[in-house]
Amino acid sequence: MVRLALIESEYEKEIFPTKELINHLKENKIKTIALFASIQFATLDKFTEELEKEGLEIKITKAKRTNKPLQVLGCDCYSDSFAESIINDSDIILYVGDGMFHPKALLLAQIKTKIKPVLIFNPISESLEIITEKDIEKQVQKMKRNLRMFLNSESIGILVTIKPGQQYFLSAKRLKEKLESEGKKAYIFLDDSINLNNLENYPFIQSWVNTACPRIGTDDIVNFTQPIINLKEASNPITALEDLENGKS
Amino acid sequence: MYKLELEKVIEEVKNKEAKQVVVQLPDGLKNKSNEVVEHIEKNTDAKAFIWFGSCFGACDLPLGLDALNIDLIIQWGHNRFNKEDW
Repeated sequence: MVRLALIESEYEKEIFPTKELINHLKENKIKTIALFASIQFATLDKFTEELEKEGLEIKITKAKRTNKPLQVLGCDCYSDSFAESIINDSDIILYVGDGMFHPKALLLAQIKTKIKPVLIFNPISESLEIITEKDIEKQVQKMKRNLRMFLNSESIGILVTIKPGQQYFLSAKRLKEKLESEGKKAYIFLDDSINLNNLENYPFIQSWVNTACPRIGTDDIVNFTQPIINLKEASNPITALEDLENGKS
Repeated sequence: MYKLELEKVIEEVKNKEAKQVVVQLPDGLKNKSNEVVEHIEKNTDAKAFIWFGSCFGACDLPLGLDALNIDLIIQWGHNRFNKEDW
């Protein structure tokens, strides 16, 4: 049997808030912060201490999938991905890390409500960046369009990956049965890494359901004309569409 | 810039008495894979190989390596996560 060891690859340096960050928070009269980081930057004791010295209240939660408080994964992109609703209860969302994949999850997690901006502090370049609902606008529009198309489709393709951590074969089989009970045709497709360019080989499919990484159904969809929705939405597409329509974006 | 924790890696290889190890690094660390392989082969009796493909997260582990008698996968950049029921 193949065994597994995971190495977190933590950032080497201690992370402190910069003057620019503190000034930004003060200028915007921020009192409470919902703090998140990717695993490389999730040791933020000194950082938190310094912000608290400035009179700021730091709120931390544990995303359901992670094992370290304040860590966020790319798949923590739903409103119910976190143990406590610190996103709603804070003046600002602060993400410590580099790249856009993780902080965008924090925007997507707010899709059902008014979307607060996410302030990104990159500890390597010590720079600040703000992402807002505008940064996911295209995605949200496409998600709505895809849900409407899914509801009107008679022939559905369900995508399943064999990657152990993203494999939802059983859920896919359950969904196939449900769709068939509604009089639709459903087919299950298996692969390792799901390359969406391969969708064009199956013109008999009108809509796709992705059961692998949920970011396929929120991010990758913007590059494809074929409608793709995620498993979570496929089990209750009307509610999912209503949630998106009622969202402020 | 990021800790490779090579000492911990050697410990893992020795404790698990691994003979054939696959190292799987995220794209940003793939250029360190030669360094990692050389370190493992120099400090243990194990042979080390490099996973060429994706490393999206702890959700993305290479499968089918049993056929090559690989006994340990070491993945960098991620920690254990709890799979949610969908």
